[in-house]
Amino acid sequence: MSRSLSTNVRRAVLVVFGLAWLFPTYLIIANAVRPAGDYDPSDAVKPPSSIGLFDNIAEAWDRTAIGDTLLSTLLYSVVSPALAVLMGALAGYAIVVLRLKHGFAWFVTIFAGTVVPFQMLLVPLFVGYSKVTLYDNHVGLIIIYSAINVPLAALVMRNFFGNVAVSIFEAARLDGASTFRIFWRIYLPLSAAALAAVFILEFTFVWNDLLFGLTLSQSQTVRPVWAELSALTTDVYAGTPVPIALAAGLVVSLPTVVLFLATQRLFTRGLTLAQF
Amino acid sequence: MTSHKATASRPKLTVVPPQGNGRRHARGGRAGFALHGRFRHVYISPAVLFVAVLLYLPFLWTAYLSFTSYDGLASPEFTGLDNYRRLLEDDALLTSIRNTLLWVVGTVVLPVGLGLLVAVLSYDLKGGSWFRLPFLLPYAMSGAGLGVIWGFILQPDGMANQILSLFGMPGADTAFLQDGPGNTIAMIIVWAWQQLGVNMLLFVVGLQSIPRAPIEAARIDGASGWSMFRHVIWPLMRPITTVVFGLALVAGLKNFDIVWVMTQGGPGRSSETLAVTMYRDVFVANEYGYGSAVAVLLTTITGLASYVYLRRQVGREEPR
Repeated sequence: MSRSLSTNVRRAVLVVFGLAWLFPTYLIIANAVRPAGDYDPSDAVKPPSSIGLFDNIAEAWDRTAIGDTLLSTLLYSVVSPALAVLMGALAGYAIVVLRLKHGFAWFVTIFAGTVVPFQMLLVPLFVGYSKVTLYDNHVGLIIIYSAINVPLAALVMRNFFGNVAVSIFEAARLDGASTFRIFWRIYLPLSAAALAAVFILEFTFVWNDLLFGLTLSQSQTVRPVWAELSALTTDVYAGTPVPIALAAGLVVSLPTVVLFLATQRLFTRGLTLAQF
Repeated sequence: MTSHKATASRPKLTVVPPQGNGRRHARGGRAGFALHGRFRHVYISPAVLFVAVLLYLPFLWTAYLSFTSYDGLASPEFTGLDNYRRLLEDDALLTSIRNTLLWVVGTVVLPVGLGLLVAVLSYDLKGGSWFRLPFLLPYAMSGAGLGVIWGFILQPDGMANQILSLFGMPGADTAFLQDGPGNTIAMIIVWAWQQLGVNMLLFVVGLQSIPRAPIEAARIDGASGWSMFRHVIWPLMRPITTVVFGLALVAGLKNFDIVWVMTQGGPGRSSETLAVTMYRDVFVANEYGYGSAVAVLLTTITGLASYVYLRRQVGREEPR
């Protein structure tokens, strides 16, 4: 009896908490949907009387450089994680399957890259990139986003390849396949799920990045979207109506929200595995 | 990529009978056959090269620059410990360190603490995932997106103030982002709103992987409620709490995005964190050497904190 009582108390606490958490979510959505002309901060709680979301988005598109910057962001967040995952998989393959000498030392060398705080990279990257014309250049951003994502990819792929039976490799090898062919035709396809998980994680990271975009680019054709939209709160886009700023923020967040909710299961499983 | 082929290449992998005496671990078998290939280093070199050139090299360069005076144009001039001496006397840096500590404490207490609470309350409830959904929605938003949206909500004449006055609550004329350390605390609360979800999720995973036997045994012994949590569940959650608290510690120390977007460290440098101070010193004030010293300071603090934390965690696991 006392247990069912405590269950009800727990439910009640969760509902109260949940409502408190939903309230800002509601505010954001309601006011992003509200036609920009109807916005009045003292009536922000009222549900919108008509749907102005698409007009707001179109307006944000005109006022800011969302269009161009979204394209660049998409380029970075697809190409860089793909490169990183490939490099990580190659490294994991060399260490685990090809039994590279001092494999563990090589692995630590790569993985320790995650420890380096980004603040330690900014000055040299900015100065160095300026010297070799990689500053404000798509290639420059692709390169740094790839490098940052290599260590995680190497970690996951090394662990994953460790669970693949060695006999597969040996059999294919004795059948005359080259080591690269075995990597490309057997190990990569086998690890599709792990590759996808890492890719999604890194996609989200690159999509959400602000720091490197801010530091290493300035033109609207190269800047990633958050580096551009962060100017909404400063003088650059001063006077942007609230519903338009909210709509812009929501639209740009949408891809990662959808991706996250769609793959939540994959991640909780992946995280459980990551505890070894 | 043909150079990787140690044996004569075959067009197909499948159903080719073993060639010659290619039996197990044939290093000595056929002349020159290396089972693991000869160019293994080629596979690992892209990863090593990228990490070395783009992460380690800049790291070392920043460490060097922290001992120089450098404006990004003329070549850096070695000035020994001058930058570090200046750090000690920099009032803005003191504020920045205080704010960074607030962020660390705030991150550990609010999103992690509340995330634990929600996880514990909901993990074995029927329909628990529905109870958890409200907390997950904000999580997928980026730090910058969070800053943009909440920057508008917390404006002096923004929704937050209007809503407080609507419900007749005190604080309706609070300028949330105007004065330190209040502005930092306001941003920490926004951060907590977003980050609770991921911490909760990690805790739920941890709770669900706890073995049932000790819990049942404790229940039979009469444990329940708080004593059950304190003495049975909490110790069993150790692996996941180590991870969550560690991540929170580092995230709190390195916070940049949300502060930069909402206040840019202002007004008057009152809400800077170390990461923001570094960025401002370099890219606003053009003091590359001094900014590098701030970066080194941040790195040292992060490194020390992680080291002490991990040592304690690992140390405690040994039998007493």
